[in-house]
Amino acid sequence: MGEIMGNFRRAINNTSLSRFRFYFQAASFLLLIYGGYLALNLGDQLPTFACIFSEPRGGSCYLFGLQHQMTTPWTSYLSGRGIGLLVGFLTFIAFFIVFNKAWCGFACPLGTIQDWLTALRARFKIRYANYAEPTFQRLKKIKYILLALLILIPMAIGNSFFGLPKLNHDFGVPFCMICPGRTILPLFSGDFSQLALDLSSKSKMILTALGLMVTGIFLSGSFIKKRFFCLFCPMSAFHYIFANAALLRLSKDAGKCSRCGNCYRACDVGIRAIADDLQHKNIVKDDCMLCGKCVEMCPEEGCLQVKFLGLPIYQSTAEGFFKRMQGRNNAK
Amino acid sequence: MQSDADKRFARMQKATALHLAMEGEETLQHLTEFSDNPKAMDYFYDLFRNLYKNGHKLPTDKKVIGTMCLQVPDELIYAAGAVPMRMCSGAYAYEQVGAEFMPAKSCPVVKATTGMLHVNQALWGEAVASVVLPTTCDQKKKCGEMLKEMGYPVYILEMPSSKDSEGARFYWQESIKKFTLDLQKITGNKITSGKLQTVIADMAECSRLFRKLNDLRKSKTPLIFGKDIFLVTSAYFIDEMASWRQAVRQLIEELEVWRQNDIAITNRQAPRMLLTGSPPIFPNLKVPILVEQAGGIIVADEVCSSNRLLHDAVAYDEANLNDMAAALADRYLKPCTCPCLTPNTDRNRKLAELVKSHAVEGVIYQAFSGCLPYEMEQKQISNTLSKAGVPMLYLETDYSSEDLGQLSTRVEAFIESIKARRRKK
Repeated sequence: MGEIMGNFRRAINNTSLSRFRFYFQAASFLLLIYGGYLALNLGDQLPTFACIFSEPRGGSCYLFGLQHQMTTPWTSYLSGRGIGLLVGFLTFIAFFIVFNKAWCGFACPLGTIQDWLTALRARFKIRYANYAEPTFQRLKKIKYILLALLILIPMAIGNSFFGLPKLNHDFGVPFCMICPGRTILPLFSGDFSQLALDLSSKSKMILTALGLMVTGIFLSGSFIKKRFFCLFCPMSAFHYIFANAALLRLSKDAGKCSRCGNCYRACDVGIRAIADDLQHKNIVKDDCMLCGKCVEMCPEEGCLQVKFLGLPIYQSTAEGFFKRMQGRNNAK
Repeated sequence: MQSDADKRFARMQKATALHLAMEGEETLQHLTEFSDNPKAMDYFYDLFRNLYKNGHKLPTDKKVIGTMCLQVPDELIYAAGAVPMRMCSGAYAYEQVGAEFMPAKSCPVVKATTGMLHVNQALWGEAVASVVLPTTCDQKKKCGEMLKEMGYPVYILEMPSSKDSEGARFYWQESIKKFTLDLQKITGNKITSGKLQTVIADMAECSRLFRKLNDLRKSKTPLIFGKDIFLVTSAYFIDEMASWRQAVRQLIEELEVWRQNDIAITNRQAPRMLLTGSPPIFPNLKVPILVEQAGGIIVADEVCSSNRLLHDAVAYDEANLNDMAAALADRYLKPCTCPCLTPNTDRNRKLAELVKSHAVEGVIYQAFSGCLPYEMEQKQISNTLSKAGVPMLYLETDYSSEDLGQLSTRVEAFIESIKARRRKK
């Protein structure tokens, strides 16, 4: 029995997680964008950028609901609306807690599109761009600012901050207005309407214009820089608040780490700590998307492990590493 | 008419060749004296037996690019259609040549390497297309200047003296990218991404095999002597890669059979030792041989001629030159534990891990007299090891055989003390 389990483990650790992820992402994409055709719907509290503006979707992003709920005057949180807010939040947490940031690496349709653009660029043998580490450290803060704004701006609609006048309802879902998910994802079901510039009011015009700009930056940026948008993603920031409670984890055994940096090289979001952090066992950082590429590239036995409820489900091995690298050469 | 200097040089050449052949033969004799050596080791014994016969020949007819430290990416040299040859020499005969024009206090590796290139210059001449020298320790750097004076085409590969910052990493990546371009000029061949990908895979296979061999050393039943491992890795400096891989594969196969049948190469109770510090390079396998003659077995090592050289492999993300060159750069700097780097705490951590994984009972720290970085790092390594409860023997030595008596007494006493520790436990 033990031997069978051992062989099974070994077979799993020898596989290419990236290939599995490629197909999983494609399946998630189909489900989240076209799930409606099969009458599938995972609800509106998903911890990932499945867009509510896209029909016939199979579920949608919690940030829309969250922003919307924030427009309520504070006093009404104590009434039935507060319960609605709480239920929505708990549903989000329930989804998130199980898969942690793997939502980003395996399910997010915007993430998947970025990975497709990366694959396209790599096929043309065009080199990628990278940030210098200090730039990375500065830019990564933007997502927290966006997260704060997407909560505070809607709040200023139903409430007055410091006696200032309330904002108008055009700012109800400010982040959605600039999110490339709103403009791009509906395209996959033939809906081009989100690309229109809304001239019905000044604020709407500004927001939709910004949205188009961000869309352009999203497409060109993620063509030359892997997972370009994820560094700024407020969902990623929101995730990170709860990541320590998640059941799916990435852990590192520092004693086994030679700091060879393979993991850091492979990391699409450029997390340096994965190679150089020798203190923390739980190594999921705020930009991590749990794609597992670091585990694939780590040549040290059991140094990096993906664990679910403390049980290792995929871990780095020398055998797996050499197999995958050899496979890459054979596939040439 | 030959000048006196020319005549003297010719005499030195002749004497060196003679001493070298004797020295190689003597080491081989010690290596093969042990009973029941694996059959697959014969390949390596023969390789070195022929190396110094009728003068020290280059290993190939192709253009040779000499490398002075392990940080030079061999992959790039192969991809450029040339053959890398690690020049670091372990020969006392060559050290004697170097001693004629180098400071007495310089380390034997640098003296022997410079001496070898000096005395063989006429013999090797044009075949050495370049000597690539990463800016590691001060002695190697100055040795590069001497080689340039002699007329060798020395290539300085600029390397940072620390590896922890991103600045250092990018500086080194740029050095490697420049080296990629310059190699194409030196060899006249283009390095394509396809060729490089193939070579990276070939070299990864070398690492994979070395790791397998190293894993076999973890076995509770001792399967292979450290002196043979060092011969295998010394062969890696000069051998044709495909034949080296084939020979190592055979060695692994043979040892696998031994493992399955529980055949031990030596006494099962032999104290398990780890060797770290200055590199044992053929023919200077003095210390490993002494340790194993005294009844110990070297089950692990942390030296730049063996484990540090072969453990790591390149991991690129995209198969274009830009990413592969950067990946090569990372492979040769990031996991490196050369004492020319500061801080070098990764070396302490690596040793602690090896002690655990290979069930090491005692550590031999070999420092070549004149190699200050290793001499100075001794303190911090001994502190780390004493925390781990592993005794360490510090040996300051060189390539001569003068200290043999003194060394063997100390090594024997150390090994006895480990046996005594066991009895107490």
